[in-house]
Amino acid sequence: MFDTGAGPGPRREPRLTAVPDAGAATPEALLHRTALGEDAAFAALYDLMAPRVYGLCVRVLRDPAQAEEVAQEVLVEVWRTATRFDEHRGSAGAWITTIAHRRAVDRVRSAQAAGDRERRAAASSTETEYDSVVEAATSRLEHRQVRRCLKTLTELQRQAVTLAYYGGHTYRQVATLLEAAVPTVKTRIRDGLAKLRDCLEVAR
Amino acid sequence: MSTEVHTLIGAWALDAVDADERRQVEEHLTECASCAQEAGELREAVWRLSDVTLAEPPAALRERVLAEVRRTRQEAPLVSEPEAAPKPARRVPRLRLPRLRLAVGAAALAAVAAFAGVFATWAVLRPEESPTADRMTAVLEAPDAEVAYQEADGGGRVTVVASESLDEAVVVVSDLAAVDDDRSYQVWLVDEAGQESAGVMDAGDSSATMWIDGLGDTDLIGVTEEPAGGSAAPTLPMVADVALPA
Ligand SMILES: [Zn+2]
Repeated sequence: MFDTGAGPGPRREPRLTAVPDAGAATPEALLHRTALGEDAAFAALYDLMAPRVYGLCVRVLRDPAQAEEVAQEVLVEVWRTATRFDEHRGSAGAWITTIAHRRAVDRVRSAQAAGDRERRAAASSTETEYDSVVEAATSRLEHRQVRRCLKTLTELQRQAVTLAYYGGHTYRQVATLLEAAVPTVKTRIRDGLAKLRDCLEVAR
Repeated sequence: MSTEVHTLIGAWALDAVDADERRQVEEHLTECASCAQEAGELREAVWRLSDVTLAEPPAALRERVLAEVRRTRQEAPLVSEPEAAPKPARRVPRLRLPRLRLAVGAAALAAVAAFAGVFATWAVLRPEESPTADRMTAVLEAPDAEVAYQEADGGGRVTVVASESLDEAVVVVSDLAAVDDDRSYQVWLVDEAGQESAGVMDAGDSSATMWIDGLGDTDLIGVTEEPAGGSAAPTLPMVADVALPA
């Protein structure tokens, strides 16, 4: 039988290396170490990403208590499934944030389906959505980048993207909110995101 | 219908699709490279929208999460994730090898997979190389699977996941030092009697995933840099020589 997999082999000089510490502060490195079961790495990852996870949940759910609940689920899921993260396929930030957004949105949708929650779906909320987001974004550089990049979108693109992302609405719901045709909204979202992508890349 | 699916990529990236559409899109991403590319890029843009919603969570959340984590078991890596990443497909050297034998502990699988980028390669493999991918899955999921890995000279990593009971292994070569198109990395199975080629990577490639059938008495798995197409005998020194648990 064999010993531990990652340990030094009995015959060879062990050239197997431990987890490198260099660059340990990046989310990717922390996530890798989390995948190895390192509690300390996960705690550091928590400190780095929890404000993002929690903040996004608050934004989408508009309910701090629920947001806290969902954020906890998300962060534990990050721990549980860190083993599946692969940085060749995308950044740790995208990976974690995607989990958070999906969870928050799923929560909104199931609440909607259960009919125990009335989400405001008035076209007048469109501006509020965007403005409050922008207002929150005054100090940090990244904030300015995102805000600036959102401004490169057309009005309809921007509204569609922000309603979907921050509001947790489906593109069909967005179409209703904006009183626009569904195929139009689909297209605007896609074009808007492409612009956002191009802009953020430049800004990076 | 696929035309229809293409147009949903943006909405999908925002989680603005229903469950049915999500499934359709993610299925499509496993078979459409251009959509997979676009999806990956849009995802990288979309998450930045959360730059403007950062908020300090209640302090108690940290304690609760860390406490729950302490009693939560981590998952073994899955073989496929629906939102397949944009990644150029790599040919997988098919190996027909003599007996090799090793084993890898199941608990370590998670670590390896995350480290080695196993799944990136797999996600790409799945559509066209499914028999091999299935075998790889079997190795990774084998109860006696064990893992060994090594940082390669010049950068990158070589990871071996092997199952003694199956007599099979998966070798993941990731991000070795770049080589020109007239050079190939070659993988060797080494035992007391000498070495044997396990496969030659495509010229110029620095990453690949291999399935090895028949590990026999292999002591270590080595990687060398050779002229394109490989050599009959390894050019030393080895870039990596991963000792198998024995
Ligand atoms: Zn497509």
